[in-house]
Amino acid sequence: MGLLSQLKQKYKTLSIVGMAKNAGKTTALNYLIEEAMDDGVVLGITSTGRDGESIDLVTGTDKPKVFLDTGTIVSVPVKLYEMADAGLEILRMTKYPTALGEILLCRVAESGYVQIAGPVNTKDHQKMCIEMLELGAEIVLIDGAIDRKSIAAPDTSDAIILATGAVLSRSIKKVVEETAHIVGLYRLSVLEDGKTRDLILNNQDVEKIMLIKGEKIQILDLKTGLSAGRFLDEAIDDETEYVYIPGALTRSVIADIHPQKMKTVNFILKDPTKIFIDATPWQQLRKKGFNIQVLENIKVAALTVNPYAPAGYSFEHETLLKEMRNAMEDIPVIDVKMGGEFCETI
Amino acid sequence: MRLSNVKTRSETGLDHIMHSINVMTPFGKTRMKEMLPFMPGEEERLNEEFRKLEELLSLAEKNPQTVDLLIELFMDMKDIGFTIDRSKNNALTVVELFEIKSLLLKMKKLTEVLEATGMNLSEEFILIDTLELLDILDPRKDRLNTFYIYDEFSEELANFRKRKRELELNVRREQKVIKQKVEAQYGISLTPKFDYVVSKSNKELVKIIKEIPELTADDEDYLSVTFTLKNTDETDLLIKEMDDLNEKMEDEELKIRETLSEEIFRFSEILIKNCVKIGELDFTLSKAIYAKQHQCVKPEIVTEHVVEIEDGRHLVVEEILIAKNKQYCPVSIRLKDGVTCITGANMGGKTVSLKLVGLVAMLTQYGFFVPCKTAKVGLSNYIHILIGDSQSVQRGLSSFGGEMEELKEILDQSRERSLLLIDEIASGTNPVEGLALTKSLVTYLKIRPYISLITTHFDSVTVGESIRNMQVMGLAHADFLKLEREIKYANRKERIEVIQKYMDYRLYSAENGEEIPKDALNIAKMLGIYDEIIENAKIILES
Repeated sequence: MGLLSQLKQKYKTLSIVGMAKNAGKTTALNYLIEEAMDDGVVLGITSTGRDGESIDLVTGTDKPKVFLDTGTIVSVPVKLYEMADAGLEILRMTKYPTALGEILLCRVAESGYVQIAGPVNTKDHQKMCIEMLELGAEIVLIDGAIDRKSIAAPDTSDAIILATGAVLSRSIKKVVEETAHIVGLYRLSVLEDGKTRDLILNNQDVEKIMLIKGEKIQILDLKTGLSAGRFLDEAIDDETEYVYIPGALTRSVIADIHPQKMKTVNFILKDPTKIFIDATPWQQLRKKGFNIQVLENIKVAALTVNPYAPAGYSFEHETLLKEMRNAMEDIPVIDVKMGGEFCETI
Repeated sequence: MRLSNVKTRSETGLDHIMHSINVMTPFGKTRMKEMLPFMPGEEERLNEEFRKLEELLSLAEKNPQTVDLLIELFMDMKDIGFTIDRSKNNALTVVELFEIKSLLLKMKKLTEVLEATGMNLSEEFILIDTLELLDILDPRKDRLNTFYIYDEFSEELANFRKRKRELELNVRREQKVIKQKVEAQYGISLTPKFDYVVSKSNKELVKIIKEIPELTADDEDYLSVTFTLKNTDETDLLIKEMDDLNEKMEDEELKIRETLSEEIFRFSEILIKNCVKIGELDFTLSKAIYAKQHQCVKPEIVTEHVVEIEDGRHLVVEEILIAKNKQYCPVSIRLKDGVTCITGANMGGKTVSLKLVGLVAMLTQYGFFVPCKTAKVGLSNYIHILIGDSQSVQRGLSSFGGEMEELKEILDQSRERSLLLIDEIASGTNPVEGLALTKSLVTYLKIRPYISLITTHFDSVTVGESIRNMQVMGLAHADFLKLEREIKYANRKERIEVIQKYMDYRLYSAENGEEIPKDALNIAKMLGIYDEIIENAKIILES
């Protein structure tokens, strides 16, 4: 049984997200599409922006079109419909707007190449994925953000497939370390249901930093901690149990907080994409007893590796695969470019 | 000649109400945009318009689900005017054909929904049968809202497609055989797409793979070489046939699209007529829903020139009050040709009553129901509301200058059966000349075949033959002791609200020459103006 057939049992929508540009996101997508063809899985295919152009618009590197088999449900904007090489039966005309016209939901009637694109807005995207499932897709694959920094919060899909690779660094160790760091952040523990979570959720709309002391909540007139670390440090007192930060978490935010306070207080973030701290300083922080939880985390369903970097260097693909698998423990890792066979899932 | 200008439509509140009318289809929007007022002489047509409105009101009453179904159908209707135009000389695209089919399905559904009510609806709402065209666009007759150049459109196309799939399978079968052979022979494993990717850094391997006769370097970038199966003579032949087929299929598809477009054009007139009917239904239904939600009634249309309102509510003001959880105090007034003055307390709602008359008259003439208990309206040729605004100031005119300029426009434009609504004219200049001017204007207007309604603070204006005077009840019957007690502990915002609470906004017909109650000082005092000033003003008044 292929990777996809396994994932399909757990998830209904999967985003494929690149750790960086050229980490092999499109290759990963094509790999899964081919698997679906072999296993007879009815796929829904969409993307968070325009995708499937023959050339990657950002870097100018080669980016193959998506070849889709009959039966696949796909989202295509009106202006790209006529350009599709595949025969597409129009099932539904949606109202989701894109720069290339409204999105059509189509069923592939004659297999061929298609340029796909999806709604720009996250809410529209969620609704459209549900429509695709209604139309018969067993699992929806979303060609997601080009690099993880622009990933749109966890609510885009049930889980993500993270594409990583040599493009991150010339050192295998570094590639593995950074990938593990990001996966670690995505899987940060979620603040459990209860009084504290309710307090935060009830006041979340104001988008301000909040301090929670027992049953009481104190809302600071600060949106992010950026350049306000000292105010934050002053506001935290002995009774403070939790600090909720709605915006970005960077090193400067916590730099001014007294080490003693850091140990006693729990920091809460909306989701892991709000963290902008690299692997090494993150490790140091954790060692100092920095506690952090999120309201929502991101499930990583699988990891794909690409041993080639556009800069011209590459890794021995089996070494990369092995190292990555060692670091990931329970997440399936596959080399999609070399077609390396898919082995373990626990 | 037009009925009114932009300012009158906005000041009376008509524009605001039009914005609240929720038409959903592009056809309904066009219908509303092209809406014209009914003029004197068109009473019968107006009554016909009201009859249609009543018809849909009773539909909504008897079959609320029908209304929901209609709204659902209206919700994602698309304008197809341009597509129909294009069908004359062009082959429509698949997306356009889908849109036409989609609309035809909606027309069918709409007819079914209306038929299910069992009501005998107006001709204007009944669509012309387009089933024949739907059958052409839906050869499978499964009535699904999907579209594709289906095999059923042409046997030839179906055969081409079938042949192409066979060829594809043959090619793939052939390739699979070679794949297995290569894999067995060289110990490498190709992807399902028969690719094999080699890193350029591995020069040895690249060299070895290049030697394999069955493979060819298909794609090469700066990092890797992608090898793929070389075509055999046999696959080459198959692929050539596929290419030929592709061309034939494209030609055939174009031919089908052309035929379908011609058929659509044959129906173009009917389609356009149906769109107009849908627009009429959508617009009238929206008006009916609005009337129901805002307790509006059908005004009685009469031939004599009158405006008679029983318990009227100005909807824009009412909306604000409802938002504040307060009740609107309805106002009644009867107007006929000649001059009627509204006098009375400050904050007594004189201007709102003036606007109410304008709103009821305007709504009636545009074919809407009116927010009253009952209303009787004779149509006007010209309606104008003269009310202070900031526009003249923006143009560099003083408020008096702007007012006079507009008054000139009114006098020039007025003709038989005019409705003139004038708010405190000449209040911005010295009272001696202001009074003289107002009196003289009243004298000019009272002998003309206009309904003139004028709000004023000058009592003596209302004195004279054939001038009717309506007074605001105001604080005449208010319990001043209670009021003062409440005012005492109120803050600024509450003070206004307390006065509003005790104010009686209703109008009553005052005897000729009856003195207007002087409430200005009282109200100024209640609003917190210093006693010193108020007392002094009283002394001046008495002297």
